[in-house]
Amino acid sequence: MSNEQKSSGSPIVGIIIGAILMVGGTYLSLNAKALGVGGIQETLEGQGIPLDFGKTIGTIGVFLILFPVIKSFFIKPLQDAIQERNSDLERTFTEAENLRTEMERMKSDYDRRLAESEANAREQIQSQIREAQNLRSSLMAEAATRADALVQQATAEIEAEKQKVLVELRTHVVDLALAAAEKVVGENMDSERNRRLVDDYINSVEVVA
Amino acid sequence: MGNLLTTGFHLIAGVEEHAGEAHKAEGHHGPSFIGLAVYVLLTVVILFFMMSKAKSGLNQRVFKNPFTSIFEQLYLFLENMCVGIIGSHGRRYIPMIMVFWLVIFVSNVIALFMPTAPTADLSFNLGMALIAVGYVQYEGIRANGVIGHFSHFAGPKLPVALIPISIMIFVIELISEVMKNVSLSLRLFGNIEGGHQAVLAMNKIGDPVFIPVGAFLLPIKVLTCVVQALIFCLLTCVYISLVTAHHDDHVEAAAAH
Repeated sequence: MSNEQKSSGSPIVGIIIGAILMVGGTYLSLNAKALGVGGIQETLEGQGIPLDFGKTIGTIGVFLILFPVIKSFFIKPLQDAIQERNSDLERTFTEAENLRTEMERMKSDYDRRLAESEANAREQIQSQIREAQNLRSSLMAEAATRADALVQQATAEIEAEKQKVLVELRTHVVDLALAAAEKVVGENMDSERNRRLVDDYINSVEVVA
Repeated sequence: MGNLLTTGFHLIAGVEEHAGEAHKAEGHHGPSFIGLAVYVLLTVVILFFMMSKAKSGLNQRVFKNPFTSIFEQLYLFLENMCVGIIGSHGRRYIPMIMVFWLVIFVSNVIALFMPTAPTADLSFNLGMALIAVGYVQYEGIRANGVIGHFSHFAGPKLPVALIPISIMIFVIELISEVMKNVSLSLRLFGNIEGGHQAVLAMNKIGDPVFIPVGAFLLPIKVLTCVVQALIFCLLTCVYISLVTAHHDDHVEAAAAH
């Protein structure tokens, strides 16, 4: 930038030189013959080269004025606007890049936390499953124990009932036998001795059976 | 706006007619000094009108103003050209190249609609060429020093016995530098003035049936407007790059240190 300023020189000097050249060119063009260049111009014109040195010098003057004027009036603001816009774009891109980096960091953090949560959940599920299996085993063992106890109790009760029923049945059979014998022999056989005889008989039959 | 333009054209035509009669009586061709001044003034007015329009849209973040957008594209194009041809320090020359481009292009466009234009005058073009080549010499001297710059004209260092060859190369290079002015100015003048002459000649063909045959050349002339402005700026960039070719090396070396 400093080189540019150094190379462009002072614009005021350029404008002053340009104005002088414009006036000089005008004077030269209008007084070409009096200044001695008319002959040269006519010679060139005769050879098909239509040159007017006054116009050329005037043109140089015009451009020496135009360069700094157009540069400061339009080109410099245009350069600044384009530069500013480019800076804006670069800043926006940098921000976007930073946001992208931040987003990637958050995403990786989220993925890591998600993986941790999944691992925790899986661990807890496994733990619950193990606990449920243990509980199931203990419950089954307890149920089996209680079932065995119930079976044994039921067996004992059945045996007791059976014995009770057998006693009742025996008593009833004795009564029936005595009743039948009474009807056969026609006298009362309900004595203690007869009952004992029938019992003994039934016992002997039961033993054989 | 239309009335203003019409009045302006009548004014120019009147001035041209008035000044041109005396001018042509002296055997000169092309516009007179006053005629050229009016055309240059017209060019500058159009240029500043467009720049003012473009400047009003510079405060937008995205340039929506069509004038601003066009000038932005032109600036970026010229920036690419300068940096591409001259090197990284080529941005310094963008203002000068852009002024050349704008003046030449607007003058060429004026030449499409008017009897003549600034760029249809060899003297005007020679003035621009002298500025361009003079600036190139100034940059060459600034970059390499007076002796360094002019020693480039003598070509590579040769043994003492071959000094006459170096002198010949020096003279040829000097002529070449002078011819750069002729090349830049004559090419532009020939294209624009030649376009006018071609249109006039073709119009004469259509005169009997009242058909402006020359108008069919308009597309080519429009292309010429752009191409000639481009060539002038391109060659100026090339000339600058030739004399400042070591500048980039120095900058790179300084950066390396």
